[in-house]
Amino acid sequence: MSMEDYDFLFKIVLIGNAGVGKTCLVRRFTQGLFPPGQGATIGVDFMIKTVEINGEKVKLQIWDTAGQERFRSITQSYYRSANALILTYDITCEESFRCLPEWLREIEQYASNKVITVLVGNKIDLAERREVSQQRAEEFSEAQDMYYLETSAKESDNVEKLFLDLACRLISEARQNTLVNNVSSPLPGEGKSISYLTCCNFN
Amino acid sequence: MADNLPTEFDVIIIGTGLPESILAAACSRSGQRVLHVDSRSYYGGNWASFSFSGLLSWLKEYQQNNDIGEESTVAWQDLIHETEEAITLRKKDETIQHTEAFCYASQDVEDDIEEIGALQKNPSSGVSSTFTEVLDSACLPEESQSSYFNSDEMPAKHTQKSAGEISLEIADVDESVEKEKYCGDKTCIHTVSDKDGVKDESTSTVEDDANQPNRNRITYSKIVKEGRRFNIDLVSKLLYSQGSLIDLLIKSDVSRYVEFKNVTRILAFREGKVEQVPCSRADVFNSKELTMVEKRILMKFLTFCLEYEQHPDEYQAFRQCSFSEYLKTKKLTPNLQHFVLHSIAMTSESSCTTIDGLNATKNFLQCLGRFGNTPFLFPLYGQGEIPQCFCRMCAVFGGIYCLRHKVQCFVVDKESGRCKAIIDHFGQRINAKYFIVEDGYLSEETCLNVQYKQISRAVLITDKSILKTDSDQQTSILIVPPAEPGACAVRVTELCSSTMTCMKDTYLVHLTCSSSKTAREDLESVVEKLFTPYADIEINKEELTKPRLLWALYFNMRDSSGISRSSYNGLPSNVYVCSGPDCGLGNEHAVKQAETLFQEIFPSEEFCPPPPNPEDIIFDGDDKQPEVPGTNNTVIAKLQSSEESKNLESPEKHLQN
Repeated sequence: MSMEDYDFLFKIVLIGNAGVGKTCLVRRFTQGLFPPGQGATIGVDFMIKTVEINGEKVKLQIWDTAGQERFRSITQSYYRSANALILTYDITCEESFRCLPEWLREIEQYASNKVITVLVGNKIDLAERREVSQQRAEEFSEAQDMYYLETSAKESDNVEKLFLDLACRLISEARQNTLVNNVSSPLPGEGKSISYLTCCNFN
Repeated sequence: MADNLPTEFDVIIIGTGLPESILAAACSRSGQRVLHVDSRSYYGGNWASFSFSGLLSWLKEYQQNNDIGEESTVAWQDLIHETEEAITLRKKDETIQHTEAFCYASQDVEDDIEEIGALQKNPSSGVSSTFTEVLDSACLPEESQSSYFNSDEMPAKHTQKSAGEISLEIADVDESVEKEKYCGDKTCIHTVSDKDGVKDESTSTVEDDANQPNRNRITYSKIVKEGRRFNIDLVSKLLYSQGSLIDLLIKSDVSRYVEFKNVTRILAFREGKVEQVPCSRADVFNSKELTMVEKRILMKFLTFCLEYEQHPDEYQAFRQCSFSEYLKTKKLTPNLQHFVLHSIAMTSESSCTTIDGLNATKNFLQCLGRFGNTPFLFPLYGQGEIPQCFCRMCAVFGGIYCLRHKVQCFVVDKESGRCKAIIDHFGQRINAKYFIVEDGYLSEETCLNVQYKQISRAVLITDKSILKTDSDQQTSILIVPPAEPGACAVRVTELCSSTMTCMKDTYLVHLTCSSSKTAREDLESVVEKLFTPYADIEINKEELTKPRLLWALYFNMRDSSGISRSSYNGLPSNVYVCSGPDCGLGNEHAVKQAETLFQEIFPSEEFCPPPPNPEDIIFDGDDKQPEVPGTNNTVIAKLQSSEESKNLESPEKHLQN
């Protein structure tokens, strides 16, 4: 695939406690796989999937935490220049929900103001072990002005929807304000920003 | 901690500064199992950068002399077997000294009340922001300020507000961090739902400020409020666009994690004035300051420097002279001599020889134009991003990361004399074959014979550029020559808000020199030459051309870069030492050190080869793969084999079609 073979490119970053299924969501979406009992993902920095929305090719670059969340040691630079964040918790794990404010604080601190955040409650296939009610999560996400969705990476429930909806939102944001992708170098000062990773491409 | 650390590794790395982080990436990339720990809660050690409140917390840590963490550590003595001995590590960092902070921006109380009030009305979009603001505003309450001023420990000078230098209130920062943590663990979600009722009014703090008239005056509370816009580096460095760090970032693909901006101007300070140095061909010809004759002379000289080796007759006779003496013989006018010596070669020391000077000039000129009009790049969000980017690369290849993790001692096998494990603050023993440790972690006993140099640093927040031009978004470097012979030149970098290191309408200025006294004694005279303290502004109208100082911090940082391995006492041969930041402008020392140590440990391994391109190992959206169990294993297997063969092209391209 040549560099120009898409209309939009967005960087999506996953965060959330270890074991909530972040990697499974990415794998399910990008490869259609549910890796049972997978370990760490060695050597994979981010995954790419190109989708077509209303005739436009949208390239999604999806970044995973590389395990740094395990001991709460995510690098700040991980958040920089993300267009969207998927904040994931496990509906069967109260603790993963209670850590959300801490994650939001990191987002506030390090991510761009214009980042779109989606709250995802994963593992709805394990409904009988649910510890976090949908209502609580809805209230929380509303208070935080986030989109909210429950998914199952295992059963493939809502996974496509999650990423495709996000892609739609990113496109409409990008349309409304073409500056949205320039957050990392906001001002057209005399120093032009040099980006090895050209994050977005609006033509 | 919910999760237990594994106890078997190949390499344990202590400290997340630049050389350690490069090594971590290199080791992990070559298949080693890496544990990378830092006792601090942030990445980078002395290479870190901080938000404004983060910097205040950092400052507080060094201004307080209490030793935290002591109680919570498990005694290691019982964990050492008879056949072993322990080498303890330092409990408290001592690499930072003589911290002094001054606030010049107005701190009137009304402002603070307004801010707190505004906060209650406007819970902005996230819990987190509310917390940040609580944290920030907690720095200023009156009561705590008075308690601070009553403190016995403070030098009398700083307790007097009338002196115009008001020492910063920072005592409350940690307390509020504590509160915040508490919220994070327990009450936070409730706090948030409590605020449901007012959420519709939410406006971001930035907009809030914009709506208020009469706001071009930047107050201290505004700095605090916008504190997260700051990314204040502890070390001030730039990347030479042809330097070894840029080469390494590109080669290893770590460059994908970081973006850069050009340094836009090279400045000189001559006869009390700041002027721009023309250095590219275009600059020289467009310069209004230079006469036609000067332009011709300068171009001729710079062109010669680029290929000076081919004209030995031009400089052979001056080999023994200093570079400044040599320049005098080249018919350069005094201002051109100044430009070349201080701003282009950046060799203000009188000891600099002709050859070194020519070499430095050549290096400068070669770096010109690769990415822009000056030879330098600056990473967006600060230099502190770079170690983190290497850490990310290490993690991607399986390295395990653990901040806030203290190491108590190395465990050494008496018979072999080799280090076999560390014992952490939980009393857990973690085994490895190789150990890499940053100098600052080593105990006084280990460093008994080591003579350290010091770096003097100042960090200033100002309201204007030191050289105003049409654009207010300039990134500049200025070398201020020593006032008296024998003293050190001071390197000044001025960063604008588009480097993402300071809030709008401010500049972040870094001063660096190698220390002869405390940082303030070394640097204050230069600060006074370039800036006006905010408080004095009404008095001296003539000074209005100078930028105003809003806030200033001075500190000394230990420079362990020149220490030879043999000066450390009794370190086992499989313990390797990385130094902290050096005083130089570039990052060449750190890169070289990391590469040298890596090759010493793993002589047959390649240093940071390019990783496989993630785009090559991913299925494209159009050709759906069948859901066969195990397919993903084959992907990984292919990826690994391709790493080994370093043939990155073949297997993955097939997957794509």
